[in-house]
This record gives sequence, structure tokens and C-alpha cells, in this order.
Amino acid sequence: MDPLVPTREIYWNIPAFGVVIMYLLAAASVAVFGHGVYQHFRMWRRGQPVDRLTPIWPRLRSVLLHVAAHGRLLAERVPGIYHLALFWGFAFLLVGTMVVFVQADLRLPIMRGSFYLYFQSLALDLMGAAATAGVAAAMVMRYVFKSPRLRRGILSDGVILWFLGAILLTGFLVEGLRIAGTRDPWGPWSPVGYQISVLSGVVEMSSTAIRGSHAVLWWVHFVLSMVFVAYIPRSKLFHLLLAPVNVYLRPLSDVGSPRLVDFEKVERFGAFAFSELTWKDLFDLDVCTECGRCTAACPANTTGKLLSPMEVVLDLRDEMARTGGVSGPVLAGGVVQAEALWGCTTCLACMEACPVFIEHVPKIVEMRRYLAMEEAVVPDLMGEALRSLEARGHPFRGAGIARTAWTAGIDVKSLPRGEAAEWLLWVGCAAALNERNHSTLRALVRVLHAAGVDLAILGDEETCTGDPARAMGNEYLFQTLARQTIETLDRYAVKKIVTACPHCYNTFKHTYPQMGGRYEVWHHAQLLAHLVETGRIAPTEPMDSIVAFHDPCYLGRHNGEYAAPRRVLRAIPGVRAVEMSRCRENGFCCGAGGGLYWSEDRTGQRINHARTDQAVASGAQIVATACPFCMLMIEDGVAARETVVRPLDVAELLDRSIGGSR
Amino acid sequence: MDVVVCLKQVVDPELPVRDFAVDPGTQRQVREGRPLVISTYDENALEVALQLKDASGAKVKVLTLGPAAAVSEAIRLALAMGADEAIVVDDPRAPELSGAEKACTLAAAIRRIGSADLILTGCESADWAERVVAPLLAEDLGAACVTFVSRVEAGDGAPVVRRLVEDGYHLVEVRLPAVLSVTSDESNRPRLPKVKDIMAAKRKPVQTWSPADLTRSSARDPGAGVEVRGVVVPERTSRCEFLTGEPAEQVTALAQRLRDQKLL
Ligand code: SF4
Ligand code: SF4
Repeated sequence: MDPLVPTREIYWNIPAFGVVIMYLLAAASVAVFGHGVYQHFRMWRRGQPVDRLTPIWPRLRSVLLHVAAHGRLLAERVPGIYHLALFWGFAFLLVGTMVVFVQADLRLPIMRGSFYLYFQSLALDLMGAAATAGVAAAMVMRYVFKSPRLRRGILSDGVILWFLGAILLTGFLVEGLRIAGTRDPWGPWSPVGYQISVLSGVVEMSSTAIRGSHAVLWWVHFVLSMVFVAYIPRSKLFHLLLAPVNVYLRPLSDVGSPRLVDFEKVERFGAFAFSELTWKDLFDLDVCTECGRCTAACPANTTGKLLSPMEVVLDLRDEMARTGGVSGPVLAGGVVQAEALWGCTTCLACMEACPVFIEHVPKIVEMRRYLAMEEAVVPDLMGEALRSLEARGHPFRGAGIARTAWTAGIDVKSLPRGEAAEWLLWVGCAAALNERNHSTLRALVRVLHAAGVDLAILGDEETCTGDPARAMGNEYLFQTLARQTIETLDRYAVKKIVTACPHCYNTFKHTYPQMGGRYEVWHHAQLLAHLVETGRIAPTEPMDSIVAFHDPCYLGRHNGEYAAPRRVLRAIPGVRAVEMSRCRENGFCCGAGGGLYWSEDRTGQRINHARTDQAVASGAQIVATACPFCMLMIEDGVAARETVVRPLDVAELLDRSIGGSR
Repeated sequence: MDVVVCLKQVVDPELPVRDFAVDPGTQRQVREGRPLVISTYDENALEVALQLKDASGAKVKVLTLGPAAAVSEAIRLALAMGADEAIVVDDPRAPELSGAEKACTLAAAIRRIGSADLILTGCESADWAERVVAPLLAEDLGAACVTFVSRVEAGDGAPVVRRLVEDGYHLVEVRLPAVLSVTSDESNRPRLPKVKDIMAAKRKPVQTWSPADLTRSSARDPGAGVEVRGVVVPERTSRCEFLTGEPAEQVTALAQRLRDQKLL
């Protein structure tokens, strides 16, 4: 070894036969690891096919953003930062270990010179220190601050963290003792290890003691590392490997929607067994880090319902591990309780919060499908909505008003009357059949007419798009209604649709194209924003109000549209915009999604009451929204809370500001 | 046990008021272009029958009287819910018949079916609400009759039925054959069909009979004695009056108006 070229001796103090044993142990560990991975792989393969491998570039970009840069993890600052330290710390240490392997076994002399000093010594030492800090912070979070969302794996997490801590600690000690034992001239480049070597001098360790303790600690470090590797596929540590893959496999559009069922091919509907979920669904289960972010974000769980999206994933995961994913009890209503499944508003808060992009909602809906279509057992109110959909083409039992009742006193073109128009205004049952929303519709038509938009409605020929049936798991009824709607739209050669309902919007945009119905679809907030920005509408009358926007889940998280309604509000003079504590990506459902408009919401607090409280707390005078369901739910919450906050649709606000009638 | 459920198809009772109309010629509700559904309590009757099928393997046939083309939806739903077989007495005039006339035809059809231990009907139809079909059927068939039944428990012996009355219920043992008119309670909320059954319903047997093929009992003319002279849609009016004057005068006037209306 040239004393002037910085490097270090590998396997100092380790006899040759020790190296042989080391390799045997490493091989064993890798074999056990591989076996574990293979066991899981076999389970994933039982799932249904789904294409998630392409396109490559947007997926890789996602990995960069959410793995390398920890995009989603950093949504929670403190845990995000210490996880970042842990992640990069161990990533560097892993590379460092590879460098040793290349030098020692491939005999490529790379571990030398400034690379040795800057990377292999300085950087690795600092990153090791960062990782140690990360481990410590993770422990403090769990055992000192007792973070409520981290209770699930509290014991196994302890094991894992002590493991990591021990590996880091022994690593540093081994390094320090080697520096002391070899009187390494480059020692100071490894600051932590060097301090330990200095310490060994202070306590006056003899060279025999140094050699002895080094040997012991070296083996402890090595064995711990190997056990750790073997343990990975058998614990939540598996996410080390799977999380980056899962980020790559994330859904790129139509997030959170269930698959379209082919009734010609499928024999049993919905998820009875693991093999009826997709391979990606099964893969998801093994990725979960038990971080609890999904459950902490879930409006059902935080208002005291049985549903916990994390428990859904983990109960399925544990059952899959127990049964090898082969048979076992029925998933829907067995492994996951029916009450939990029926509590989901399909709001996607869980999926948006999950740092590893697990898809809870498609699994939940797939299990609902089993309950709704195979067992035909759904909660009473939902059952009535389904029967009404079947008999009358709308889910509002007892509505008893005509679909065109809202048009009284205003002049709207009608396609069935033979009046053609550029745009179809798709009204939606929730708006047409609930009087509260009639003023929204009238306001919308007034504004669109003022902007010179040529529109017509389908009047009595409009029927439900099927969205509620789909969310409730009755895909069969959904497809019946969808085919009927597509037929109607095609009969009138409809090309451009604007709708005041985010649920209809979502169905037109994402689901109908899969069934052959392709249209240009706009949500009314998008069209209004466009009209305001192109100067076709000029809001002039000041509103002079504090306004908070409530994001409808099917506009926001389902379709990524947070900006358009806010742009409309910003254009109205006198509107002072505030945000509620939970808004945009982290918005809080009104409680009506997933067919839960037809639920009694009796357990715990009502979701719409909780949301109303958040609105009140924001200091807003007006809660603006852009969904007829949200409107009904918030109106109900406001009435129950007896507050002065008023819910208004963005169309109603804009209408007032252009001088439309009150 | 053989159970026959009589189903009537009516214009959706939840129809918007705007769409409710009476045909001046027939004095009957206009059906064209209106959604048709199984009459509300008839669905409860079907549910009671299906519960008997689940519990003791009863065979459930549904019987309906109406224009065959129009009733197919109702029949398909009933079969999807779990009925074994359906019989349609195809009579285009059915919507215009009185309850007594219908009972006479239904009784003839039940005689032709042959075996019927229990005959279930809704306690009243959602459109005319005459409540006569069950008792007249029982008379015609020489069967026992219990009205306003919500549950039927068929054990080894004679079935015991629960008859709802105000503030409670009677438990009645009935000898067979019996005609029961069914009302609703939480135990007989009509079930949703399973998708497989919806698909299978297309293959279940549906017989169509002509009223001419049926032998009605000739004791008397069921149509005699009752004639519908007129049907009107109630008119709802609202009036709005503005009170004038100083606030104090307005208040006095308002109080007076309310007193006049006996609201104060
Ligand atoms: S979609 Fe919403 S309600 Fe359903 S589990 Fe996720 S967070 Fe909870
Ligand atoms: S599903 Fe995602 S958010 Fe929920 S606990 Fe697992 S990793 Fe965390």
C-alpha cells in the first residue's frame, strides 16, 4: 500500500477463514431474503392483470419526486425530514458497502485517493450520523411523543429501530477501533469514527483490547446486518424495497376508480378472494409501512367510524400472509368488516396521504361489489337508492319533482325539443331533484347566457350517469345506466358537455370513454374560470365577504382540479379568500361521496357536521363549493350547527357579482 | 308449500305531480310515458313469500294481470328477486278493471295454477287502494283470509301469521289454503336482486294466458254495483297578500289574519 495514496485496509483484524465464513453467512442471508421475496411474489402473481409498467418517463419522474426527494413524505414536516435522513443515510452506507465489495472481491482499486477521502470516509460518516439521528428521532416520535398515528406497529417498530441503531452504532465503533488499531493517517476524514478512536486513546485501551473488541464488534455488526437483510421481506421493512417500485406503479390518471367489470367474462363479482383483486392490489398490501397517515386523514375514521384505511390494508396483508393468498375466509365482510366497507366516502384522502401510493379505494369498492352484487346486501338507504335508480333512473327516493322544475321562469334550450346547441348542460340528479340546488342551476345558466355560451339541456331524457351505483358496488346497474346515457348522448350527437356535478364530470371523463362514450367534458367551475379569464364575463358588483372554498372530492383529489374554482372566486371583487384547515389535496369530504349521501351516518360525529365546524373555524362567512352533494351536506351541517356561515355555489357567487337576480 | 303472489304494476307513485293525469275517457290514470313499478305493498308480499322459500323451500309463483307487453319489467324484477315462475294474464283492459273484476280473473287463474296453499297480495294497491282483492279472492276460492299481515311463520303445523293492528299485532293461526294481504314492516323490506339472479331471471319460465282461457266463477257479475263516475286531481292553490301600512299596523293586521285562520 502506497502510504501517500489515501485508502484503508479492508478486513483488518479479520483472518482469512473469517472472510470465508463471512461470505457463507452473506450467501445464506441473501438466500433467506430471496426466498422471502419469492414467497410474496407468488402471492402477487395470483392477482388479476392490470397494466402499470408504462409509460416509463412519467413513472420514473414520480420515483425521483416521491422517493429520492420524499415529496409526499414531507407533507408532514418533521417525520418527513427524519425519514429523509434515514433514507439517504442508509442509501449512502449501502453504496459504501458496494464500494468495499468492488474493491475487495472484484479487485478493482476504486477505494482510494480523494474518492476514498471525500466519499468513502467523510460523506459516509456524516450520512451514518444523519441516519443515526433519524433512528433516534423515529424513536422519540413513538416512545416519547407517542404519536397517535404510529400505534399499530409499536412493538415491531421498536425491534426494527433498535436493530438499525445497533447496526449504526457497531459500525461506528468498528471504524473507530480500526482507526485506532491501524493508526490510520486518514482517520480524521471519518469524523465520527475518529472521535471514537480518540476516545479509545483517552481510556487507554491496549492494542490487544482494541483488536479483541474490534473483532467482536465487527462480527456483531456483520451478523446484525445479515439478519436485517433476511428479515426485510418478513416485516414492514419490505417497504425499503417495494415502496420505490410502488411509486413507479402508481396510477397516473383516474386515480381511485375501480376497474370496469366485463360481465361476459367474470364468474363471480367483486372481491371474495385475493385472486379477484389485481396483482397491484396484492402488491400494495406488502408495501404498507404502517405509518397511519391514511387513517389520520380519513374523514370516516376521524369522526369515529369503524373504518380505518390502514387496518383495511393490514388486515388484508396479514390474511394474505397467513393463507399464502390462496383461500381463507371471504374478504368482503369477513376479513374486512362490512360496516367498515360501507363507511368509505371514496374521498381519496387516504390515497393522497399515503407516502407509498397504496390504493385503498379500489380495493374497498371491489369488496363492496361482492356485497352488492353477489350477496345483494347493502345498507337500507343505499338499497332504496339502488332500487330507485333501477325503477326511475335517479337515486332520490321520494323526490317527486320533475327534472325540469328548476327551469321555471328561465329560458333554456332543450335537445328533446329539437333545439340544437354547442354545449350540453348536464344537470345531474342531485341538482335537478333537490330544490336547494335549483338556484345554482339558474345562476349557472344566467352566467353562461350572459357570456354568450350556447347551451341546451336533455330535460326529462336525462337519467343518472350511474355514479352512485358504481360507488355502492353495483357495477351491473352502473353499466346499465351508463349504456343508457351514452345512447341518449349519441342520439343527440352530443360533443361538448358542461356539468355542475363533479360526480357526473368524473364519470364522463374517466369511465364512459372505457365504454365507448367520448365527449369533451368541463366542470362548470372550469368553464366559469375560462370565461372570466377570457373576459367574456366581467364580475363587477363587489361581494365583500370572507369566502372559503370547500373542495369537492370528485373535482379535487379525483381530478386534480383545485385551481379553477379558486380562480373564479379571485375574480369576484370584494371576495376575501381564506382556506379551511383542511383544503385542496388534504381537503375534508362533506360526507356524501361513495354513495354515503344515502347513509344515516349515525356512528360518532357526522362528517358534514365536522366539516361545518372546520368552516366556522376558518372565519369564513361563505363556504363556496361546486358540487350539489357538498351543497346539500353543508346546508344540513349549517342548519344543525345553527351557524351564520352560508354555503353558496361558485356559480351563485359569480351570478351575484354580474348582477344576476338574487 | 306452494305460494302464489299477486303483483300489480302501477304508475310510479313517486311520479312528479306535473306528470299525474287522468284520462277523461276511461277515468283512469294516464300510463303512457310514465314509469311503471310493482305496487308498493305487493313487493312486501313478494318478500314474505321469498322468506318462506328461504326458510322452508316454498315454491313461489308470481301472478300478474295486465297488458303483457307492459308488465315484463315487473315480472323480470320479481323473478330476479327469487320467484320461481311467473304467469301473466294478458289483458290490455286490466288497468281499467275494478278490484272486484280483477279478483275474479285472478281467482280463475289461481284455480288454473292448481296448487296454491298461500296466496299473497299487497294490502292495497298504490293507485286505487280499494283493498278488496284479498277478501274477494278468498271468497271466490273458498280460502281463509287474513289482512294486514307482516310476517308468516310456517312450521310443521298450520302457519302462524302476524297481523298488524294499531299499537301491536295479532298472532293468527291459519288453515290452508289462505289468502293473506300483506302490509310492510321492517322485516319484509323487499330485497335487492343479486346480479346472478338478474341474469338467471331471463331463463325462468313465464307463461302468458289469455283471460279467455280462464273459467271465471259464474255466481255473480263482479263488475256490477260499482262504477267510477269521476276522478279529479286535487288543485292546490296558494295566495299571497301584502300587508300595507306602518310596521305597527302591519303587525296588528297580521295578528288579525292569523286569528281569522285559527292559527293564533
Ligand atoms: S376514501 Fe376517504 S373515507 Fe374512504 S378510506 Fe379513504 S380517507 Fe377514508
Ligand atoms: S397505507 Fe400508506 S398511509 Fe396508510 S399506513 Fe400504509 S403506508 Fe401509511
